Amino acid sequence: MKSILNKLNLSAITPGLIIMVLLTACDFEYDLPEEGSFEDKTPPSANFTYSQGEGDNWMVYSFANQSTSATDFEWDFGDGNSSTELDAQNTYPGEGTYTVTLTASDKLGVTNVSSQVVEVVEPEVPLARIPVILEADFEDNSLPDGTGDGRDSWRNDFGGVIQITSSPVQSGAQAAKFPSAGDRVAYQDGLEVTPNTEYVLTYYYTLKTNNPGSITLTVLGGTITDLAEVAGATLASFEGTDQDSASTYVKVDLPFNSGANETISILITNQGEEARLDNITIDLGV
Amino acid sequence: MKQYTYIGVALFLAVVTLSCDEDFLQPVPESAVSSVGYFSNDEEIETGVIGIYDALQGENSTNLNDKRGVQIEFYVTEMRSDNTRTKSQEGEAAQFESYTITANNGLVENYYRSSYNTIYRANLVLDNLANASESAAERFEGEAKFARAYSYFNLVRLYGEIPLIDKVIGPLDKEAAFTKASSAAIYELIVSDLETAVANLENGEINRASKAAAQALLAKVHLTLGNYTQAQTLLESVMNSGFSLESNFNDIFYNEGNNEVIFAIGYNPGVETDSQDFSAEFMNGVGRTSGVNYVTDEARAILDEKGGNRTQYSYRQDPSQLTQYQVTKYLPNGEDGGSDGKTFDSDATLSGNDWIVLRYADVLLMHVEAIMAGGPETSAAAALNSFQQVRNRAGLTDPVTSITKQDLLDERRVELAFENQRFFDLLRFGVAQETLSALSDANGYSFSATDLLLPIPQREINLSNGLLEQNPGY
Repeated sequence: MKSILNKLNLSAITPGLIIMVLLTACDFEYDLPEEGSFEDKTPPSANFTYSQGEGDNWMVYSFANQSTSATDFEWDFGDGNSSTELDAQNTYPGEGTYTVTLTASDKLGVTNVSSQVVEVVEPEVPLARIPVILEADFEDNSLPDGTGDGRDSWRNDFGGVIQITSSPVQSGAQAAKFPSAGDRVAYQDGLEVTPNTEYVLTYYYTLKTNNPGSITLTVLGGTITDLAEVAGATLASFEGTDQDSASTYVKVDLPFNSGANETISILITNQGEEARLDNITIDLGV
Repeated sequence: MKQYTYIGVALFLAVVTLSCDEDFLQPVPESAVSSVGYFSNDEEIETGVIGIYDALQGENSTNLNDKRGVQIEFYVTEMRSDNTRTKSQEGEAAQFESYTITANNGLVENYYRSSYNTIYRANLVLDNLANASESAAERFEGEAKFARAYSYFNLVRLYGEIPLIDKVIGPLDKEAAFTKASSAAIYELIVSDLETAVANLENGEINRASKAAAQALLAKVHLTLGNYTQAQTLLESVMNSGFSLESNFNDIFYNEGNNEVIFAIGYNPGVETDSQDFSAEFMNGVGRTSGVNYVTDEARAILDEKGGNRTQYSYRQDPSQLTQYQVTKYLPNGEDGGSDGKTFDSDATLSGNDWIVLRYADVLLMHVEAIMAGGPETSAAAALNSFQQVRNRAGLTDPVTSITKQDLLDERRVELAFENQRFFDLLRFGVAQETLSALSDANGYSFSATDLLLPIPQREINLSNGLLEQNPGY
């Protein structure tokens, strides 16, 4: 019993002794502050993306913070406004060029800066495109560079080149002429349109009256490489059969929707009787 | 003595050289299949193609070491949107709704790994196409590339820039496995894969890739990239392929093989290897969780306001917990769970409901989106027509004369609620940050802009040995 007590006493004293020894051995005073510390291998890196508000909110910009290894943020929006939010939003006073600066820092006081130039521009309401038809009136020297024989833009591999007539015409000095054999074809592609927009194509035609005949104008979506593709690409088509007079032009308004096309093409063919066609124009429909 | 030994060796070598051909040293195993020497003809390669669909299906399992695939997709998509949340805000599942996802989240890691498993199996088929007959090779290529593009499209939208693997790689090919590709390069592969699939495939399949499925998916890719005219052309082609809206909204989900579904991941009930458990997880304590993908107040409000007759088939009050609301689009094997909503005759954790990836209503609404072309509204006749078809089916027959971007986003939300579309829609419409910030503020969550991307799984970062960089904010 006594020996156990002794043992207990001893074991209680021993830790005391050890602690004393440790304390005296500790030399806090001469410990270097940088001793045992590591370099920060992941310092803050500032980065952000931004997006413009829609409609009437075009002056409101939302900023998305993409910084890494940072805890604190300071936004300078370049218009005098600032923020310390993580993700931020700013309403600009108006159009202009602003330099947005994001300063990202961590709790060690290391900072990193990222800047981007933001061009604040009121978005324009996109206007529908009106396609420009070359040699639409079949006049000489009417190409943009002042050259052309009135039908250069209408040549193709689908049929012979169309002829040009000087009488009768609907406007200007010339019109297109399709002989009765029906083997001449006029085709022009690459006419740029706005998709899903209503247009009206207007033109004039006249047919000789000896034999039954017709002249057909077809508006095609995109471009074709073979006449077999016509049926699948047709947006609108009109077959003119008015043979009341060989010299009086008949007006045709052909409405069409451009659908899923950024370009259209125009194809003109005839059959049975000599035909003339003149003055093609195109405008927005309703 | 020494001399004899040398002669012995020489004789032995001579014998070996004579009798040795490839089959002898590398015998093809007879009782098991290995990828070496396999995939040598159409029949064998087709099993590889089936393997791709098996990967898409994911494993029905309660173990996150198994590749769960699309069965856990709702966690990383719908539950990160304003449509759903967990029932009881518990565990790593609740990280999604509160935007506190960590790089160690097992579901994030599992979805990533599952997607790359699909990609691996697709690459395996593509690498062996030379052994297929010419006619079969086209179809195999189309199917494999469809699956690969589908996986990459999901990955790039969820994780951002990720490694781009377009052939089978080995375990030592660290550089390929862990080097991030630019999102432009990833989208380039997605577009070219889907263009091949469109060219090579025919229509007529629902649970396997078809031409229309590839066209619809490619259209969605083009909408994401802002190529509206290309999207519209593809969608109009799908619209001319004979699909139609199912007249009763509920039948889309329970009348399998209906004419509205363009592509669905197929499941069969009762068989562990071929069934799914997400239907059970959506219920109250029927699956492994106490209930996930529960409907938010926000989603209920808009469904009640704008859903028409779709609302009753989209969610219900949880019969066992009246303050909570459950998704009813994928009720286990079509059973309603009785009076407590959780008593099923069949095994709900082995459900057979197909997961619908693409359906015709989605195509019609994408058609509107393509025509709107990033603008604030449209009143083009073709757009109104597509929009009206979807609304008419929902019993909302008042004629629409113009559609704003918000109208379209709302219509997509109520039509496609709980079908894992909402998060991607918010991203594509450019309103994810503002919508989820507002949701977060209202519910006390901690959303920030970097939460729009998931973290690269920490396991991948660790394995990459410094090659793979974590996404910002994690």
